[in-house]
Amino acid sequence: MQTKKMTALVGGALAGLLMLSQANAADLKIGIMVPTTGSEATAGKDMENSIKLAVNEINKAGGVLGMNVVTITGDDGCDPQMATSAASKLVSSDVVGVVGGYCSGATLPTLKIYGDAGTPFVVAAANSTKLIDANPGTSFQINSTGFDQVNTAVNLFQSKGIKKLAIVHQGDGYSEDLAKLTKEKWTAMGLEVVAYEVVNKGEQDQSSLVTKIKSKAPDAVFWTAYYSDGALLIKQLRQAGFRKLIAVGDGSNSPKLLEIAGKAAEGVFCFSNPTADYLPAAKAYTASYKSNYNQAPDAYGPLAYDGMKLMADAITRAGSTDKAAIVKALKETKAFNGITGAVSFTDQNTLAKSNFVVLVAKGGKWALNK
Amino acid sequence: MSTTDIILQQLANGLIMGSFYAMVALGYTMVYGIIKLLNFAHGDLYMVGGFVGFLILSAISSLLGESWTAIVCSMVLSMLAVGMLGVIIQRVAYRPMLTAPRLSILITALAVSMILSNGVMTITDGEYMAFNTDLGFDGLDFGNVFISYTQLALVISASVLMVILYLFVNKTLYGKAMRAIAIDQDACKLMGINVNKIIALTFFIGSSLAAAAGVMAGVYYGSLHFSMGFVIGLKAFTAAVIGGIGSIPGAMLGGLLLGLLEAFGTQIPFIGSEWKDVFSFGLLILLLILKPTGILGKTEIERM
Repeated sequence: MQTKKMTALVGGALAGLLMLSQANAADLKIGIMVPTTGSEATAGKDMENSIKLAVNEINKAGGVLGMNVVTITGDDGCDPQMATSAASKLVSSDVVGVVGGYCSGATLPTLKIYGDAGTPFVVAAANSTKLIDANPGTSFQINSTGFDQVNTAVNLFQSKGIKKLAIVHQGDGYSEDLAKLTKEKWTAMGLEVVAYEVVNKGEQDQSSLVTKIKSKAPDAVFWTAYYSDGALLIKQLRQAGFRKLIAVGDGSNSPKLLEIAGKAAEGVFCFSNPTADYLPAAKAYTASYKSNYNQAPDAYGPLAYDGMKLMADAITRAGSTDKAAIVKALKETKAFNGITGAVSFTDQNTLAKSNFVVLVAKGGKWALNK
Repeated sequence: MSTTDIILQQLANGLIMGSFYAMVALGYTMVYGIIKLLNFAHGDLYMVGGFVGFLILSAISSLLGESWTAIVCSMVLSMLAVGMLGVIIQRVAYRPMLTAPRLSILITALAVSMILSNGVMTITDGEYMAFNTDLGFDGLDFGNVFISYTQLALVISASVLMVILYLFVNKTLYGKAMRAIAIDQDACKLMGINVNKIIALTFFIGSSLAAAAGVMAGVYYGSLHFSMGFVIGLKAFTAAVIGGIGSIPGAMLGGLLLGLLEAFGTQIPFIGSEWKDVFSFGLLILLLILKPTGILGKTEIERM
């Protein structure tokens, strides 16, 4: 019995190998670089799932250039060192392109590795402005950068007729950056920033700051940091009778903000990268994601899905699997219509048109602002 | 808002912040006064108090609704529970160390602090919890100066608790024993005072005051987090030092003073709110240079 089972097993394995090598002949290899282990594994898995979803759809529709698309996953662990070895692994497995990139810090050192190999890399989620400077020309960022959020914010404020703005950040790199960029843009437009303030992380009482803000009579308050202290600021602003516009940055894009701030959060605006809940074009994607993986897609799933579709689109347009031709095709992308919006690139390979969306708190939930 | 409005509003803000600092500072000062220990776990008891209050409130709100009665009930129950926790900590972690060198017990206090905050972190998955009580935005409106009923209730309950404590320490036999132990523990033993019992009582009172402040903070600010005891612990400790550590009226005074300094520090023209701590702590350093024992502190021979 034992030997028979073994033979069957070995035979099966051999047959499997044979099939695999046969399939390889007409396969188009695409690398996925996301964190599948470590603290950011949930987000990474979600991106991997979304990319595989896109690959299944592409293969069902006949593949790319008549070839079947297969994926190889490199785990970057949200860690620069792991990311470099994952990138080297993908490059040496002869992938024609890579989709992924969640953590900016881990994505940063891989840009050069892909650049040296000439491999096109669609960065789906990572959006630090540092990636722009480090780009050797073969990477393409399809998530909006900090600059885009500033533009989205400024556009909203202008459309609401705001003249005097108050900006509050938390003194950390992310929120201070967003606050500084917004302030620069706002004053460059000849408008006034009446208060530019800081809240210490973890300090619950912000009443004295609220009084100071109120005394400067701004038309709007923009909170650029995270949801936990943001919720407290919103609550205390409203408690003190501030009835004007409040907006929060993407770090505050969490249902927890609404839960903590309660009624006070009604009507608060929030800037967010495009998540499936707020995208009308993502209905089919969300449904098929749910039926395949028995859970709802996470924040960066739609962008990863679009990234894979964009890569396939570029290879089709290039008409070959030559890496340089694919990079050229990606660069020439004109209004590729993904579920997160139209994609085309600037000279720096960043999104020409921001895909940030504006949300508004209604009845204790975030809804797309129309 | 006119300048007068701003000053009045910041005065109100400072008093509210100061009430929190004062209530937590009392625990520091009482424990230091009686066994010369800087109880670093005190801020964490404030945090635990908030969470216990949240649990009790969620449990009883089905019976009483989210009313003021329910809030007061959960505050009292949380005070009892955390008071007991304080006594247990004292019994398990501090009492065996009382005769050991001062630094050993200080490190034990740090360990207790870590156990409490990391324990709550594990239980809550490091998540923020929303303490949802719809207390509304009603209040006293003096034109541009606004004080909500919630804020008023906070200051009143803090004052009531502090007055009760003051009377307890100064007018009862237990209070007298506490003050006696602060002066000389060995002499107290010889006089037949049950020193361990009184020390436990001190921990009970200090911890339950921190718990009361924690529940109040939960109700007022609406969110709870395992790290919420850290900043207030630091500030309350400062308040206790300013007032003169070991002195109960000093802790109250120090808390209110620190709250007011912070409120007005935010408002100083030409510099941003990021300087408010520099301003308040700068003044406090100045005060300590002029009077090293704090406002109401007495000179002591033994120093840590």
